[in-house]
Amino acid sequence: MRNPLRDPQDRRLPRIPEPCALVIFGVTGDLSRKKLIPAVYDLANRGLLPPGFVVLGFARRDWGDGDFESLAYEAAKKGARTPWREDVWARLAENIKFVAGSFDDDAAFDTLASSLDELRASHGITGNAAFYFSIPPVAFPIVLKQLARTGMADNETSGGWRRVVVEKPFGYDMATAKELNRLVDSVFTADDVFRIDHYLGKETVQNILALRFANSLFEPVWNSKYVDHVQITMAEDVGIGTRAGFYDGAGAARDVLQNHLLQLMAMFAMEEPTSFDPSEIRAEKLKVLKAISVPKDIAADTVRGQYLQGWVAGERAVGYLEEKNIPAESTTETYVAVKLAIQNRRWAGVPFYVRCGKRLPRRVTEIAIVFKKAPHLPFDPADVEMLGHNQLVIRVQPDEGMVLKFGSKVPGTTMEVRDIAMDFQYGEAFTESSPEAYERLVLDVLVGDRTLFPDAAEVEQSWAVIDPLEEAWAGTTPEPYRAGEWGPRAADELLVREGRTWRRA
Amino acid sequence: MIGLWDTTGNEVVKALAAERRSAGGVASGLALTLIAVVDEKRVREAEAAATIAAAAHPCRLLIVVRSDVESQRSRLDAEIVVGGRLGPAEAAVLRMYGRLALHAESVVMPLLAPDVPVVTWWHSEPPAQIANDFLGIVADRRITDSAQAPDPVAALRQRAEDYAPGDTDLTWTRITLWRTLVASAFDTTMEQVVGATIVAPEKDPTAALMGGWLGARLGITPVLEPTTEHPRMRSVELQCANGDCIKVTRDENTALFSRTGQADREMPLVRRPVGDELAEELRRLDPDQVYSSALGALAGTPHLENRPAQRVHVWKDPALARSAAS
Repeated sequence: MRNPLRDPQDRRLPRIPEPCALVIFGVTGDLSRKKLIPAVYDLANRGLLPPGFVVLGFARRDWGDGDFESLAYEAAKKGARTPWREDVWARLAENIKFVAGSFDDDAAFDTLASSLDELRASHGITGNAAFYFSIPPVAFPIVLKQLARTGMADNETSGGWRRVVVEKPFGYDMATAKELNRLVDSVFTADDVFRIDHYLGKETVQNILALRFANSLFEPVWNSKYVDHVQITMAEDVGIGTRAGFYDGAGAARDVLQNHLLQLMAMFAMEEPTSFDPSEIRAEKLKVLKAISVPKDIAADTVRGQYLQGWVAGERAVGYLEEKNIPAESTTETYVAVKLAIQNRRWAGVPFYVRCGKRLPRRVTEIAIVFKKAPHLPFDPADVEMLGHNQLVIRVQPDEGMVLKFGSKVPGTTMEVRDIAMDFQYGEAFTESSPEAYERLVLDVLVGDRTLFPDAAEVEQSWAVIDPLEEAWAGTTPEPYRAGEWGPRAADELLVREGRTWRRA
Repeated sequence: MIGLWDTTGNEVVKALAAERRSAGGVASGLALTLIAVVDEKRVREAEAAATIAAAAHPCRLLIVVRSDVESQRSRLDAEIVVGGRLGPAEAAVLRMYGRLALHAESVVMPLLAPDVPVVTWWHSEPPAQIANDFLGIVADRRITDSAQAPDPVAALRQRAEDYAPGDTDLTWTRITLWRTLVASAFDTTMEQVVGATIVAPEKDPTAALMGGWLGARLGITPVLEPTTEHPRMRSVELQCANGDCIKVTRDENTALFSRTGQADREMPLVRRPVGDELAEELRRLDPDQVYSSALGALAGTPHLENRPAQRVHVWKDPALARSAAS
């Protein structure tokens, strides 16, 4: 079906989804209020929603449409990134509906199903709907069962597309991930399952692909011949907040290493896809994920940490064990550093140091490529004392951008060489307010673009990296670090042993 | 801010460099140079619009005000602002008087940021021949605004006459939201469109372009129904082969979307400030082929996109023309 009014040349016209409904389970929850509802408003405000668009919120509370509307209003106004326009909201609010019920309530799901059917006549929505699971994974089976029972998940009976969006965690280990994938795929077809890893919605992460595959400058040095090692950092200054229950059962490795960091690493290290078709990109990512190997001596080449009390950004922070609802003898890690390797020709012998943690000095996510030193330096050793390794740093957040560090002569009469940084800030070349990750991803789901969503195979392959680590860590105690420090001392030693140091991110 | 009175182009270049240095890292990345051609009384308006656009595309903004071309005494005044009230832009307001005004490029050329695209924007009545204005020739993209001409539709036809790839007109930008709504109606139907009716004031350039676009895309001849009740384009209606009808009607800030067999729906359709329109223009720095085919259909001159992209400067001295006429 080709639309005669659309032309690939006409890039002023945005991609707009077909008329559809967005069903949000757990619509009164944190994620929904902070991210989803504002994202929907922003999409509406940018004119990216189709004429027929309805949000159906499903949650346990016994609320009327009115109560829910005021909650949605507050949430949208607070979280919106685009300017607030009362009339845009008014148009949108007319199409936000609330369905109350618990997940084991058959009647509530029947109401939901009939609400979706009614949209056919009232809004011209011919069966298209996306189900957003903003609910804890334990509730997945029952909701999926309900969707299967009412036939809501079936593309054919509904006459349009039916998609499902699931949030991390994608399981707890390989076995549970497989079980979850099997469960979701048994109700929806595999192609209609969208797993959200919001990191992939970030502009800089997508820019890794542009940087690597649109330029001729970087590809020649993107290999073990020139790269000494790679550091991937995801630091958060916050603690675990209100996620104690989930976090204590998971830990840093399952929480972010398994998804965000391995996805970043895959985008960074993958081979060139034959095209930008989603299946081609996924194929390359999967290949490189399969090639990731964990250290032989896990005890020596990984570090787990747990924060003690301390000071972060001028405020006192309690230690992990003193956080609310955390058992006093918990051995869950809040920091992890791992030395990974990629077993292929391009990356053989290049260590990838990956670290992530909570209560570190500041919030930053970056990939630093540290290049080998020049094979020969025809300078007096004293003149190049301040010359380090050349570095290319991809800053994912905040201040999205890139830094290139290289040596330059210090002005003066002596030949002294020192490192300088060339800083490209995304916001400087295009301050065009880049859409929030959720906004972009919700739109992708509704349009049906799978490029930025990891598939089941990728998720399972990521667990294949994490599982052996977790196994080796079982029964060990994480190293303590003071809140507001760059992780435990042992993490520094991990690099120092090999003559390297962490970049101060 | 630095103000330079009765100065030279070199002094402006030096002052801009000095301001950049003292401002530190504020404006280190430049996406483009934007030349705004305005009259004195509209300098503030152009600044306001460019500030909004610069928030999306950090640029070097050169506002060129030319006056008194007949005066024998040439003079250049300049105002230089880096950061501050103009947002992330760095700007120079260049006021040229006398014969210098006919050679504005001599001041502007050394101020173009190295190796980034140049966009010239006439925030005034569009020139009849862009080739007569050297500021249009140095530009990779040229933005006019036919709505500011006394007869906007005639001005658009003149744009087709004078077209070179890389030209666009803000009347085209103004209908992007309309086009989005109309195009999205056809994402879900295979119906062939057999006719279209556009209700708009007779001299409305956006309606003329809308007609050109629909004509070029669908191979139909849209009917323009004049109205005097509405100051702007009121509605676009498309008739399908099976008798179905799709209609978008604008009220203040909303559009009513109606389609045979479905309930009417209201969609936001806001009028954007010039700054937002300018920002949309600066997004794309390559020729807009869809615009050229819509413009070609409007003026009955097909294949505009095959014109050479480079213009050759044609010298035209308004003083001479005037003295010859008198």
